[in-house]
Amino acid sequence: MGMVTLMGDESPLEVIVFAYGMEQGLGEFYSSAAGMIEDKDVAGLLRKLARIEESHKQKLLDLYMTLNTTGKGSEAFEAEIMNEMMEGGFTTKEFLEKNRPVMETTADILSLAMMLETQGLDLYLRYSQKAEDEESRRVLYRIAEDEKAHLAALGDMMEAIHNEK
Amino acid sequence: MEWKQFFTPIKNMDTEEARAYMAEHEEGTYTLLDVRQLGEYENSRIPGATLIPLPQLSDRLGELDPEKPVITY
Repeated sequence: MGMVTLMGDESPLEVIVFAYGMEQGLGEFYSSAAGMIEDKDVAGLLRKLARIEESHKQKLLDLYMTLNTTGKGSEAFEAEIMNEMMEGGFTTKEFLEKNRPVMETTADILSLAMMLETQGLDLYLRYSQKAEDEESRRVLYRIAEDEKAHLAALGDMMEAIHNEK
Repeated sequence: MEWKQFFTPIKNMDTEEARAYMAEHEEGTYTLLDVRQLGEYENSRIPGATLIPLPQLSDRLGELDPEKPVITY
């Protein structure tokens, strides 16, 4: 992936913006991956996860607007802030190209999805513990719970595929 | 959307490095952690590996000895 790593000293707003970008990337990844898979159950799960990541974006945007004191409106969020924050990263297309060698089978794709969800869960758990206000903590924990459920669903699907062999 | 690094920095070992590490260190001085699913673990695993499937890891971290290095696969 890209060159920038969260170091743990980011402001709450920086974390929210970063998480928003991650959710967008996850959603795009799931939508693209669903189109690459013949197994209808797995493709259906990936599409469902893509929809949930979309709802996470809205929750994060709402939280951002609650906390932000810059005076910038929500319309400026993606246009300005996201471009600034995500500079130097990969597009989803580039990410998929880079990972194509490890996306040959359905199990490969599920494995990659589980890796990404784990990183998402880690991000939310780390920053929800550090959040100083109750609302941020509540929202970040809530999303962490969703990511944990996604991980379990992907794990169950992986197990089912393994048992079919 | 642009992807960027959101990983916690970790050290990666390739197969040979992991094999060498295990050869050079006494059993019990490190933890081998298998985070795959149960079926994969039952099918094949490194002897002595502890299974904690990835979806359960955040709830079961207390089962790992924090004093020992962990090799995860």
